[in-house]
Amino acid sequence: MNKEIKFALYAIKKNIQNGAELRGSFLLNIFGMAINNIAFIFLWIYFIKSVGVIGGWTAPDIIGLQVFVSISYGLVFSCAMGIRKIPEYVSSGAFDRYLLSPKNLLIRIATASFNASAIGDLLYGLVCFAVYAILISITFYQFWMMLVLIIFAMIALLAMTILIGASSFFFTDPQAVTAGFFDLFFTPSMFHGGAFQGALRFVFTFIIPSLVIGTLPAEAVRSLSFSKLALVGILSFVWLFISIKFFNYAIKKYESTNFMTFGN
Amino acid sequence: MKELRLAKKILKTLVKDRIQYPGRLMADTLTTTGRCGVLLLLYYYVFNLKGGVINNTTFIVAAWSIFFYFAFMNLGLRNISRLIMSDVQSGNIEVLLNKPISYLLYRSWWQIGAGLYPFLFITILGSAVLALIIGIPDTMALGIFLPTIFLTFIMAIVLSLLIYIMVGLLSFWIIDINPAFWIVDKFVMILGGSYLPVALFPNFLYKISLYSPFGASQFMTHSVYESWATNWYLLIAIQTVWIIILGFFTFIIFSKVKRKVSVNGG
Repeated sequence: MNKEIKFALYAIKKNIQNGAELRGSFLLNIFGMAINNIAFIFLWIYFIKSVGVIGGWTAPDIIGLQVFVSISYGLVFSCAMGIRKIPEYVSSGAFDRYLLSPKNLLIRIATASFNASAIGDLLYGLVCFAVYAILISITFYQFWMMLVLIIFAMIALLAMTILIGASSFFFTDPQAVTAGFFDLFFTPSMFHGGAFQGALRFVFTFIIPSLVIGTLPAEAVRSLSFSKLALVGILSFVWLFISIKFFNYAIKKYESTNFMTFGN
Repeated sequence: MKELRLAKKILKTLVKDRIQYPGRLMADTLTTTGRCGVLLLLYYYVFNLKGGVINNTTFIVAAWSIFFYFAFMNLGLRNISRLIMSDVQSGNIEVLLNKPISYLLYRSWWQIGAGLYPFLFITILGSAVLALIIGIPDTMALGIFLPTIFLTFIMAIVLSLLIYIMVGLLSFWIIDINPAFWIVDKFVMILGGSYLPVALFPNFLYKISLYSPFGASQFMTHSVYESWATNWYLLIAIQTVWIIILGFFTFIIFSKVKRKVSVNGG
């Protein structure tokens, strides 16, 4: 296991070095994405101004939501972008190359690609974290709670990305279909969390766990709710378990496209 | 005439091509459901909580306005920026510029053709579902609604293409246009009335939306409001002015970039 982690860290380092070779483009991607994300804060704060407080959510909660979603997205896709490319690898036949690798398959695929703009998400998330901490006058407990919740949110996002990526093995046009699945899962996670009530909240917590990566952690920090912290933790690990099982089952459905290019 | 024949051929070929990929249609439908469907459910809850009216706007009006935005998104016109970038990066631009057709027109028709089938499918299906579940706003029952929305829709297509073509042409100067694309796209998203319908905008934001090309490229979202009956011609006039301005700049920039093309190797 130690060897696998060392390999993953090495691959991530090389990916970042590789991306940074085109310095101008690399930096533009990072700062462009950070600026781009501000739009969501702007949108939902105007929503609150027009509509009023819904479900107890105020402007700091919107920023809190951005902290969890952006940092988890930034960490997952700067370290494990390869998972999102599974559909591409499957349809092009490049998956053969990973199957033949002596390394752990999931780690090998995850670290095969890197997304420079995800660093921009991470940067933006950290700035939001600082702003959020000032706005809510963060306490010692809330600070540590946030760190734990970011890890849980990251696990949940990673789990859903693996699950959606693994579904590629069942479709003839996996890139388009999995992009649709990912949108269905991820987009609601950026919506105003207070407006999710009743059946909608149940669906987007337990069936499609969009709220696990942003809304529930933000609410847990606001109300110092340890039951919500536990719920997010349990759901993250349950989805991770399900996703790995499903991934291992799904790869058995893989049929090489027999390209003579060995995946290039 | 030649241009029209080319456009017809491209549209026909691409629509036929898209019909062969039901997976992509499913993906587009899922994306629209994930974004628009969930958003409408949220707004339904919010409007109910606020007594059915927010900023003198009812849920039916807000829902149709949001739906028009997301339906239009299915045309995928914004992808023309990345298509141009890909042509420049791959060197394919050389081949296309040497053909006896207008490159920008060719790419525009290509983009419309690629999105036409999912757009028609989702718009018809979504409109039917919305009309059955929540009904239609009074403005949509007016005689002028269909001809004016058609006109503003055509203008919106042209304007959107011009905005995203200008972003795409940046790829002649910078390696990666994605950061510029994201920022312009977010302006269109905010000012077009996607997640927050234009009727809920504060006054200054509404004015920016009205007089900027980003907001003007999504004026279909205004067509369901009561004010549409009296000010549709003003909105179409604003779109026309922006089309003329951006068309002029696109022409100037494209003339410059054609001289800038340098293809190495081959």
